[in-house]
Amino acid sequence: MQNVNAPREPAPVLSTSSTILNMREKEKYIEDFDFPFCDESSKYEKVAKIGQGTFGEVFKARARNSSKKFVAMKKVLMDNEKEGFPITALREIKILQLLKHDNVVNLIEICRTKATLHNKYRSTFYLVFDFCEHDLAGLLSNVNVKFSLGEIKKVMQQLLNGLYYIHSNKILHRDMKAANVLITKNGVLKLADFGLARAFSVAKAGQVNKYTNRVVTLWYRPPELLLGDRNYGPPVDMWGAGCIMAEMWTRSPIMQGPTEQQQLILISQLCGSCTPDVWPGVENLDLYNKMELPKGQKRKVKERLKPYVKDPYGCDLLDKLLQLDPAKRYDADTALNHDFFWTDPMPCDLANMLAQHTQSMFEYLAPPRRPGHLRHHHHVAAQGKPAPVTDSGYQDRVF
Amino acid sequence: MPYWYYDKKDLQNTPSFRDGISNETENRYRKEGARFIIDTGSKMDLGYNTVATGVVYFHRFYMFHSFKTFPRYITACCCLFLAGKVEETPKKCKDIIKVAKPLLTDQKFSTFGEDPKEEVMTLERILLQTIKFDLQVEHPYGYLLKYAKCLKGDRAKLQKMVQMAWTFVNDSLCTTLCLQWEPEVIAVALMFLAGKLSKFEVVDWNGRTPKHNAWWDMFVEDITMDLLEDICHQVLDLYSPQTQQSGGDSPPETSTSKPPKNEKKPPSITPPASVSPVAAVATKPVVTPVKNGGETKTEPPKNGGVEIQLSKLPGDAVCAGLQRTTSWGRAAYSCSPRSTA
Repeated sequence: MQNVNAPREPAPVLSTSSTILNMREKEKYIEDFDFPFCDESSKYEKVAKIGQGTFGEVFKARARNSSKKFVAMKKVLMDNEKEGFPITALREIKILQLLKHDNVVNLIEICRTKATLHNKYRSTFYLVFDFCEHDLAGLLSNVNVKFSLGEIKKVMQQLLNGLYYIHSNKILHRDMKAANVLITKNGVLKLADFGLARAFSVAKAGQVNKYTNRVVTLWYRPPELLLGDRNYGPPVDMWGAGCIMAEMWTRSPIMQGPTEQQQLILISQLCGSCTPDVWPGVENLDLYNKMELPKGQKRKVKERLKPYVKDPYGCDLLDKLLQLDPAKRYDADTALNHDFFWTDPMPCDLANMLAQHTQSMFEYLAPPRRPGHLRHHHHVAAQGKPAPVTDSGYQDRVF
Repeated sequence: MPYWYYDKKDLQNTPSFRDGISNETENRYRKEGARFIIDTGSKMDLGYNTVATGVVYFHRFYMFHSFKTFPRYITACCCLFLAGKVEETPKKCKDIIKVAKPLLTDQKFSTFGEDPKEEVMTLERILLQTIKFDLQVEHPYGYLLKYAKCLKGDRAKLQKMVQMAWTFVNDSLCTTLCLQWEPEVIAVALMFLAGKLSKFEVVDWNGRTPKHNAWWDMFVEDITMDLLEDICHQVLDLYSPQTQQSGGDSPPETSTSKPPKNEKKPPSITPPASVSPVAAVATKPVVTPVKNGGETKTEPPKNGGVEIQLSKLPGDAVCAGLQRTTSWGRAAYSCSPRSTA
């Protein structure tokens, strides 16, 4: 729509760049503009740092207009970004706006700091979430926190409900681990940290998805990712769910490989050798011939987990979740229908048990968990660090 | 979530208007900004979804800020930059600027300031706050294909009609329609228009019930003829010579580095397609969906329209083909509607 003719009208009010605000005026404008849709972060008051997300720090904060309302604020780190607002943060925001479910962390809003000369007129952004008192890694690292079988069932049921919901919405979490599973003081579980999540499409014939396989914290990374699969799907999260489920009893991650190679070996030692026999197509994965794959390993999932898990249904479900072949691994729906959740003791509410613990438990704040290995019972020293009591009735440990 | 639809009164009383810019001039700025996003995006092989998302950001942005405060071409670049990331087709900021520069006169490019990239970065934060991080935007394209799938009739004509409607949707980005109506409504209206112009008669459709007076009753309730005509006219106005003349250029153009692609103005808005309004305006289809392979790519203008080669699909596969088109139409990021639990 280029106007090649001279304008017919007399020059209108604005004509040249002289009408465009100069730098100073624009800075003033930005500073004064009251963005109607994006509140200032000063409406919250930071209380404590509670974690380190994929792209920034996380703080506990209190709404200034209500001393009872607590939120978690996740800072969007942009200092080292050459390409502006990080695409990972955009993804997380987009996904969180889509996902509204009781077992998925709730994004309340996105806040900003005021743009001033001091920050070169560039606001810092915070994602503001409903506050959750605990994360699962923090709870598991505290020996005083004891889960009954019914409570473990409740945790797993909520976790699988959350996964069922996000997978139905075509979202992969891609970073399942105990530290990303939050639990409120009322015992409601929330999947959190969608910083690595992405939408997936169901691969059609002749069309292959190419996702990065460098996702998921190593200890929770499924064998297909370790073997270089780039056309993966919801089963990657289900493997993580299996690792987390086992951890409910072992209290520390069950396979703590220091390298990708070692992780594969640990997986083979627990789940058996990765062969085309048990996993048709594994031989076609990119790294199948490049990684050292232990041969002749027998599958010992039930055998090795039994001393911890005891409940035979629990052992069986673990066996179904920790399947090497992603196609054989249970999906969330099937897992939820497993007898584990439908036999006595039935899943039971966590609120009562959590009521005995009035200290927020986050992995970030907890002392490092001992490197735990299956077969070795280990003891985690009880932590008895007093901390200031806050209005919420919870103590925040600040280091 | 904010409500992004405005009535005509709001669209006349914009920040730019309150800042002394006439409605005609503002509409021209919007049109130029949108066209610039389309041109830049096409040159970078960005898909139609990314381009359309960028344009919607652009229109929304200027419901809160004046064109005097924020010159349109740098805003346009910023919108395209953000849309690229949101739609999972990211382009480097410096590359966008590199492609954009030759499309502008030196004078227009001077509004990018001394360090264009830094300007875009600063602007991105303002853009994000202005649009309330409401990143996911839906466009009429997907609905167009979904609706077409249900229509029965001569297949060649249907194909032609869909192509024409597609082009109208592209061009509708240069209007403020995306600030007035949901993508479903725009899709219906522009299919209606394309049907008229391409003489495609919708005799019957799948899913028809006695309650339906017209095919679109199946998809959107309460669409009146007045509404359809109003929407069609807003798009057709793009092709009428008068609207292209209003307002002065800001900054005035001394030379234009753009190809003089709009010199041939359509004498009228009457088909047949050889002189169709489509040909004159949509010199550059944003992106062509299809070819059997399934990748999207930019094509040289072919009678102005977008080629949807339904005819190449085997047998009874019009519907299957359209289905497939829809799936790439959603680009890499496709979230199905909230469901389950």
